[in-house]
Amino acid sequence: MSSKPHGSNNIAHARRMVQQLRIEASIERTKVSKASADLMNYCSEHARNDPLLMGIPASDNPFKDKKPCTIL
Amino acid sequence: MGEMEQLRKEAESLKDQITAARKAVQDTTLQEAAAGITVVGRVQLKTRKTLRGHLAKIYAMHWAVDANLCVSASQDGKLIVWDTITTNKVNAIPLKSSWVMTCAYAPSGNLVACGGLDNMCSIYNLKGKDGNVKVMRELAAHTGYLSCCRFLSDSEIITSSGDCTCVLWDIETGTQKTVFAGHQGDCMSLAVSPDFKFFISGACDFTAKLWDIREGVCRQTFGGHESDINAIGFFPNGNAVITGSDDATCKLYDLRADQELITYQDSSIMCGVTSLAPSLSGRLILAGYDDFNVNIWDSLKSERVCWQVMTTE
Repeated sequence: MSSKPHGSNNIAHARRMVQQLRIEASIERTKVSKASADLMNYCSEHARNDPLLMGIPASDNPFKDKKPCTIL
Repeated sequence: MGEMEQLRKEAESLKDQITAARKAVQDTTLQEAAAGITVVGRVQLKTRKTLRGHLAKIYAMHWAVDANLCVSASQDGKLIVWDTITTNKVNAIPLKSSWVMTCAYAPSGNLVACGGLDNMCSIYNLKGKDGNVKVMRELAAHTGYLSCCRFLSDSEIITSSGDCTCVLWDIETGTQKTVFAGHQGDCMSLAVSPDFKFFISGACDFTAKLWDIREGVCRQTFGGHESDINAIGFFPNGNAVITGSDDATCKLYDLRADQELITYQDSSIMCGVTSLAPSLSGRLILAGYDDFNVNIWDSLKSERVCWQVMTTE
């Protein structure tokens, strides 16, 4: 990236920075206890549908090769 | 006091305000809240399919919404659309520029996109009338490489670039609808929220930013990483963001608490994270590293989960 010229561009950049910080400072924040609880609840509610946690029955697994029947 | 000095003081004051506001809601930590949960036990994996066909490094892949088809981009100059069940190549699309770094599948399944060192995002129509896949649009305006792209629909796509900006494009007209400027370093990766209202970007300025797509503004900035952020993704409920960095760590930031909740790190891991994805429930985070390894993290406990590849049923 080319370096910015001095002078008015620096002021414009600083104004944009302050404007952006004002936006970010003004948001409402939820308590970490609530945010954490919600993450934990989501994980436990959806655990049974997570194949990496629960495995997946062979009949539901589209990637499992269907073995041909062998006549004994 | 000159205006520059005033602005500097106001910026410092606002930064202190943000730090204080984040601390004010820190009534606990995720570690404490999850103290009663047991770490996930061993995860067993089995290789089901190997998709062979690319002749050079594969830089990116993206699943279609049906989780059946996927697209991959290789520096052999091809995009390949795979049927992952049969391992058949549905399409093998030759690219004008072989220096491809990213690819994306549209939610509709009708389009794919890619881009890289050509600074452009090329859109391909998979469902053209004559059956041939050809370039539908070339989205050119970025002054740096295309690091990532993600479709919102068949008519809109978001790109991230080495020119430090992200852009929302109107595919029909090939024009920029919104430029998302603010990062102070190359944008490396982006992810769209499940409700399509926001997207997050990770950059070489060590921060992740949350952008309001329609308003065109950055709502939140997350710091803490000590090097470039290469990979970024949403927690499945859209309320948290996961990042992977050259500083060898991944972090989870909660959007509503506006702060980092946990860092996934281990003193034995000393190389950068290049890609990541959460499992369906969000409980596991799979992260790819520069040493060619994948580590699986328990997202709530910040501990590595043991995993093994089963060779027998």
